[in-house]
Amino acid sequence: MSNAWRSSRVTFGSLLGLLLLAGTPSLVFAADHLEQIKQAGVLLWGADAEGGAPYVYPSPEHPEQLTGFEYDLAEALAAKLGVKAKMVQNQWDQLIPALDRGNFDIVLNGLELTADNQQHIAMSRPYYVYTQQLVTRRETEGLTNIDNLKGKAVGVLSASVAQRLLEKTPGVDLRLYPGNVESFRDLKAKRIEAVVLDLPIALFYAKPDPALKFSGDPFAPGYYGIGVRKQDATLLAALNQAIVELAEDHTLERIYQKYGVWDERQVALKDYHPEVVEQRKSISTIRDWRTYLPLLLRGAVITIEISVLGMALAVVAGLALVLTRLYAVAPLRWLAQVYVEVIRGTPLLIQLFFIYYGLPEIGIRLQAFPAAILGLGLNYAAYEAENYRAGIEAIPRGQTEAAQALGMTRWQSLQHIILPQAFRLVIPPITNDFIALFKDSSIVSVITMVELTKVYGMLAMSTYDYIGLGLMTATIYFALSYPASIFANWLEKRLRYDRR
Amino acid sequence: MIAVENLVKSYNSNRVLHGIDHAQQRGEAAVLIGPSGCGKSTFLRCLNQLEVADSGRISIGGVTIEGGHAPRNAEERDQQRRLRLQAGMVFQSFNLFPHLTVLQNITEAPIVVKNTPREQAETLGRELLAKVGLAAKADAYPAQLSGGQQQRVAIARALAMEPQVMLFDEPTSALDPELRDEVLRVMRQLVEEGMTMIVVTHEMQFARDMADRVVFFDGGVVAESGPPEQIFGDPRNERLREFVKRVTTQ
Repeated sequence: MSNAWRSSRVTFGSLLGLLLLAGTPSLVFAADHLEQIKQAGVLLWGADAEGGAPYVYPSPEHPEQLTGFEYDLAEALAAKLGVKAKMVQNQWDQLIPALDRGNFDIVLNGLELTADNQQHIAMSRPYYVYTQQLVTRRETEGLTNIDNLKGKAVGVLSASVAQRLLEKTPGVDLRLYPGNVESFRDLKAKRIEAVVLDLPIALFYAKPDPALKFSGDPFAPGYYGIGVRKQDATLLAALNQAIVELAEDHTLERIYQKYGVWDERQVALKDYHPEVVEQRKSISTIRDWRTYLPLLLRGAVITIEISVLGMALAVVAGLALVLTRLYAVAPLRWLAQVYVEVIRGTPLLIQLFFIYYGLPEIGIRLQAFPAAILGLGLNYAAYEAENYRAGIEAIPRGQTEAAQALGMTRWQSLQHIILPQAFRLVIPPITNDFIALFKDSSIVSVITMVELTKVYGMLAMSTYDYIGLGLMTATIYFALSYPASIFANWLEKRLRYDRR
Repeated sequence: MIAVENLVKSYNSNRVLHGIDHAQQRGEAAVLIGPSGCGKSTFLRCLNQLEVADSGRISIGGVTIEGGHAPRNAEERDQQRRLRLQAGMVFQSFNLFPHLTVLQNITEAPIVVKNTPREQAETLGRELLAKVGLAAKADAYPAQLSGGQQQRVAIARALAMEPQVMLFDEPTSALDPELRDEVLRVMRQLVEEGMTMIVVTHEMQFARDMADRVVFFDGGVVAESGPPEQIFGDPRNERLREFVKRVTTQ
């Protein structure tokens, strides 16, 4: 993330330089982006349609088409500007950095009008008044406000207002989810006790579900606004004007009614007076490393635990797989081969989702930590099995023949002659895989594990110091993986028998 | 000691052995000669079941196997192993275990296969190493030895299983001429001690000096067989005559 971030800045800078050299009035780009949008005829708006109902999501009837109240709003806004709207898909918790990078013109996706969000981008006047809603299972009693949540596992959308709200409530076991569907699945799977989230999401996902209920009244009202880059002042003004007009001609009300998210609070939109947001000093996490490094290291401990245990599982399961594949009776042999091909041919992400969210449906309910180890371990087992196979097949046929001629059974010759030699051959590829797994382990954040990369992402989002935190995080990864390669080199040398 | 009847072996459609009969007394040393591709190595590999014959019967030291199929169950696998334990094999390319020391190469099979106590296996191993003149190399790894030394270790390794018969598959072919003698010397010593042996080789001097019987393979059959004086001095088979002429004028 941080690399892409930095390089895009470099490209942007050099592009600007080129424009200057060419004598083009370069300030047009910076000062009047609105004019450019009008010329192009397209307003690019960034949003996350994955689990994005009712804001913006693939239409159930026509999945190739998008729908949602923000989809309609974007169309209405674009019409006011005299252009077409085009949605750009982007992971929700990375919308602001992506806007800053120039991936799209505006962010229109339930972005809360908070001081935090306005540190790095400008925001329009509000287009929607949201509240927070606490959702529990139907049978749960007594969890009616956030003060009841102490000691309970509570799910929130990563980087949402609910996360910030609950981080200030001590004693809550907070679980961060990348999307809205997963938290409700976990709530029903009894991995967590409650979900706190913006009311429109709750209206769409939880309200129709008989297993869930709204617990207590909506609370903590706030505004959604449109995010624009700070320099795009004319665009911001045009958007503000458009929002006022859409409110006055009841377009907003019509759209919100259509999606069932209208309530009387929306009347307050008219009376909005922007508050002056105090600009905080920019944070240097490197200067404040005493605060940030321990947080990162705590994430690193989880990363190490998951990687080491996952690899241990992979090395053992991989050996069992390869022995089955090479030496077992026919049906088992095929099964092992199918396993290897299927696991290698499908994304780890989907396997993790399957283990964590899919298995509970057949009654296997794993906590995130064992699910992460199982997911990584079983995935890498397929690769380790292939490493072993390459190692075993690299041992000359004469070795097996010599062992057999001496009267060894197949298992004895494997155990005493073939595997000890193959083991040494596979140390380099297995080390390689361990280092890869170590970095791949960041993927388990999708099943609510808060490991090193997730900590980095969370801190970066609140401090916007992608570079400082990125350097610290990368250093930690390197400091952990480099000793692994040194150890492997040492082990390889120690097991050398062809020295003269 | 060894009785082979009507042994047939094909690779796909290519028949390599056309029904070999061979009988050998205890203490007898037979040397198999013949042009390349005549089937003599295949014959040897069938004897200790590295290849499974298509048909025919093999009997060594009282253990008998009927050819025709790979072992299908535990009992047949056991029988195969019993036959193998009757015969020690020395390969052209030594096939020492590179991850084990010289001594471990010798003691591994007795310990693993026969459950010989380690100390006893090591005592035997050192005796055998002394016999092949490599007592000082017990703790070396195969890669640290010359080819001739490696082959002598391989002979000691096979002897450690105390087989009834020793099979040598071109034991000196992979060696430089100056290293062959040290291996041949060990083999001569074994013949003199009365070991029952079958040796596939191109070393005609060894065949002349040490063989009780020389067997000439040609085109997958035994073309002629007899004492070395007859085979080298008065060959009857036309192709054997050519072969002897060729190898003796080299």
